[in-house]
Amino acid sequence: MAQTSAPSQRISRREMASRVPHYATLLITGLLFLAPVAYMVAASLAPASDTLAGFAVFDVTQWGLHNYSGVAASLSSDSTGHLWRFFAVSFTVTIAVVGLGLVVNSMAAYALSRLAWRGRGLALFAILLLLIVPFEAVAVPMFYLYNDARNTLWIQIVPFIGNALSIFLFYSFFSGIPHSIDEAARMDGAGPWRIFWRIIAPMSKPAYASVAILTFLTQWGSFLWPVLMISDPNLRPLPLQISVFAGQLPPAWGQVMAFGVLLVLPVIIVFLIFQRWFIEGVASSAVKG
Amino acid sequence: MLSPRRSRRTAATVGAALSVALMLSACSGDSGDGSSDGTIDVWAHTGQAAETEALQMLVEKFNSSQEDVTANLTLIPEADYTSTIQATSAEELPDVMEMDAPTMAAFAYDRKLIPLDDVVSSETLDNRISGVTESGTYNDATYAVGMFDVGLGLWGNRALLAEAGIEAPATAEEAWTTEEFTANLEKLAEVSPSGKAIDLGEANGFAGEWGTFTTTPDLWSAGGTLMKDGKADGVLNSDDNVEALEEWASWREFADPNTSGSAFQDGQTALTWTGNWMYPTFSEALGEDLALMPLPDFGNGTKAGHGSWQWGVTPVAEDDPEAAGAFLDFLLTDESISAMVEANAAVPGSTSALEQSELYGADKPLELFATNLESACGSDSVTEECIAVARPVTPGYPTVTSSFGSALLAIWGGAEVKDELDSAARAIDSDFSDNNGYQDD
Amino acid sequence: MASPALLLLLLFVAVPFLAAIGFSLYNVRLGDPRAPTFMGFTQYARILTDPDISRQFLQALLHNLIFAAVVVPVQTALALSLALLVKKTIPGVGIFRSLFFLPVVFPIALVAIIWRLILARGDDGLLNSALGFFSGGAFGSQDWLGSGLTALASVIVLSIWQGCGFQMVILLAALQQVPAELYEAAELDRASAWQRFIHVTVPGIKTTLVFVALYTMILSLRVFDQIYVLAKSGGGLNEGATRTVMYEAVTAAFDENNIGRASAISVVFFVIVVILSVIQRRATREKEG
Repeated sequence: MAQTSAPSQRISRREMASRVPHYATLLITGLLFLAPVAYMVAASLAPASDTLAGFAVFDVTQWGLHNYSGVAASLSSDSTGHLWRFFAVSFTVTIAVVGLGLVVNSMAAYALSRLAWRGRGLALFAILLLLIVPFEAVAVPMFYLYNDARNTLWIQIVPFIGNALSIFLFYSFFSGIPHSIDEAARMDGAGPWRIFWRIIAPMSKPAYASVAILTFLTQWGSFLWPVLMISDPNLRPLPLQISVFAGQLPPAWGQVMAFGVLLVLPVIIVFLIFQRWFIEGVASSAVKG
Repeated sequence: MLSPRRSRRTAATVGAALSVALMLSACSGDSGDGSSDGTIDVWAHTGQAAETEALQMLVEKFNSSQEDVTANLTLIPEADYTSTIQATSAEELPDVMEMDAPTMAAFAYDRKLIPLDDVVSSETLDNRISGVTESGTYNDATYAVGMFDVGLGLWGNRALLAEAGIEAPATAEEAWTTEEFTANLEKLAEVSPSGKAIDLGEANGFAGEWGTFTTTPDLWSAGGTLMKDGKADGVLNSDDNVEALEEWASWREFADPNTSGSAFQDGQTALTWTGNWMYPTFSEALGEDLALMPLPDFGNGTKAGHGSWQWGVTPVAEDDPEAAGAFLDFLLTDESISAMVEANAAVPGSTSALEQSELYGADKPLELFATNLESACGSDSVTEECIAVARPVTPGYPTVTSSFGSALLAIWGGAEVKDELDSAARAIDSDFSDNNGYQDD
Repeated sequence: MASPALLLLLLFVAVPFLAAIGFSLYNVRLGDPRAPTFMGFTQYARILTDPDISRQFLQALLHNLIFAAVVVPVQTALALSLALLVKKTIPGVGIFRSLFFLPVVFPIALVAIIWRLILARGDDGLLNSALGFFSGGAFGSQDWLGSGLTALASVIVLSIWQGCGFQMVILLAALQQVPAELYEAAELDRASAWQRFIHVTVPGIKTTLVFVALYTMILSLRVFDQIYVLAKSGGGLNEGATRTVMYEAVTAAFDENNIGRASAISVVFFVIVVILSVIQRRATREKEG
């Protein structure tokens, strides 16, 4: 550590030089990754005639907000659905699934990892089995079984609350908390609920954050289930609505892209605020294995 | 410790989410049981923008024209429309729904439609043109009424035709034979700026309803058809059909993929093979240069498709069918029909509206479509005289069209015609036998 | 405490899955007032051996396998390269981490629509314009989504763009756990950068690499949203060249109202997923052991 300033400067100059290709590569890949996003934003601002006219979308002088007012105007009646409602539906469904899922799945994981009850071994085994059933494998029979609940809000929420992966992630995390901690609390006369809510849950914030983010990412983009179950425009979540909007004839691509920007904007904001949690949450999903 | 505050915050979030959920479900209302209070739910497909706007305007007009009934319109994307109705149980359907003509039998078979003979006024029913009457009839009862019927034809660019020294046929009798048609494609390819003579609409996807709608006239004109007496084997894969589709696939070298979506109206191709709804766009772009011609004759006379979007009433409205009937009577007035066909240039569905039409009638631009419909017939009784042929009226139609469409797509891509049609026929017959031939009694 | 989650999993995973097996033995049609007829294993026989139906199903399965065969190595390699690029804490690297992760928060339905415009036919799409521009017009316009040759490749590209950041974050976390001393030791041995990569980095993150690869493989089997959006919402996608197993199941259920066959496809799909999951477990365990 204790170095004179001269060599350290030389090192950093050499390092600087070695960083040039590094930055160049970062910049080029970064631009390639950004291009589709940039295109979406540009197309949402450009006049309709430029959407499919090559580089013309990037002509800043032609940009304006007409597509945004256009999308607000096209989606403002009960027959087409209201712009604000698509957001309300998506937010409600996502928040409810994430929130209820955190409570229900962490409770289950706690019971599985800490409490002694009949059938615990069987339940644990069942969860491990269910871990490999992807939603896609049950979508069709669910479509038939729950057909009476078509076009309701709850059918978009309830099936996704219980989640084997979330239980498993909580279970792994709780198993890493020393038992001496709950022993001590039990000595003080705390029951299992109290121990869970007051001690285990507060200690497990990283696990809650990870599960919340993973659930959020899958739920916000949910598409297959709404395709099968939702035809009422007033209950359509955003991803389904954008595909409906894009399928209209003649397609108003500028407005579709404006809608796309509006759709991702809240998520990007959430992402930027909780960036660290996103990264850690995703990284921890590899624990499953 | 943060924990109590934290869990309270969690509880608050969840609570808020739930209450919003309850609020949303409360104000979304329940589609399906609105008929008794004078409110009816109406489902329609999202068509061409102008068509959809016309419909929205008509619903508003209906609601303000009287006080007893309020119609709530819900628009469902065309791509999912038929599947959505199939997936919705009869109790959850709206009171009134739109449907594509060939799907009507499947919905009637599933008891999702009620007969309209006592729901819609007899004046309205008697005023229908014969094509609309025919595509609304199943098992001798009326299950659907249409505001319009469809016309399918060959559209030409007179300037390019003249350049190639070709005269446009105007009537069904003058239709080009397939030999003439192929020869003309060759000549027109030379004068078409894109180097391709025709847009057959392949961008719309031959695998979907577009394929069935636009290519079955070739089969009928060759003396074949899709199925007879509930059987496809020996009918769909007949020699006539094989030859006709071999001919059709051979046009590929002259076909523009229409990458811009506007090849014909931009004067890039001399011909296009499509329906009435493109007329407003075409006539605006080409004006006097636009020619409407009959489809080529494969030997059994030129043929054209018919049967378009139409309206039916579901069992939900059974207790109080008057409201639904009033709405349909309103949609089928000459005034409503005129407003709609102004948007999509379809053949007006009532005799009186057809008479007043500015597009249809002697020496009017789309005369051909109307005369085609005057000699209409069903898919299993195609004669040389009839021109407009309806797609098969059977509850198994969804399988028929999806199997035939897959075959078309493969044939267009160069697959052996006979093999593909054999395979489609087997798929259709196996579905029919699974469902006991869709016997409905 | 575990009961809410277990009940939900029972109702929305276990029961529907068992129901799928039941439905697959009958000719179940939605909305048909007549009772379904028993068909035994006919649906399975058809999707696996019938010359017409199995051709389509096996084609779909083949597309999934091609998808996996390309996406697994390419996406894993790309994610690893990106992770290596952003591993070093140099100024501004955080921006690039976020940038590469950004597409992950985009619902895949929206991603499909953005790329549908970028890949638009004719010379008016952004990609065709760019290629035409950089090749001086030598490179003719392609129908990326419509041509049988490029349709699946296009879907693969847009899927990698969306999914890559997720794997990058997992691999980045693994890279950061490789002990720095190992690199220092390798450097003392005058190992080249490539040798360090092969002998230090790869063994250090082997478990995670295998996890990521197999996880991507399962995701490849589940592909549905982007195919559906591109094929149905005016995307001009070549359906025949891109249909996947889930697309087959959903169209059989939703478009053809053949719940029986769709259920049989779901069951076969599940069996394939289980086989691959078992292989995944084995592989991960061997690497760990």
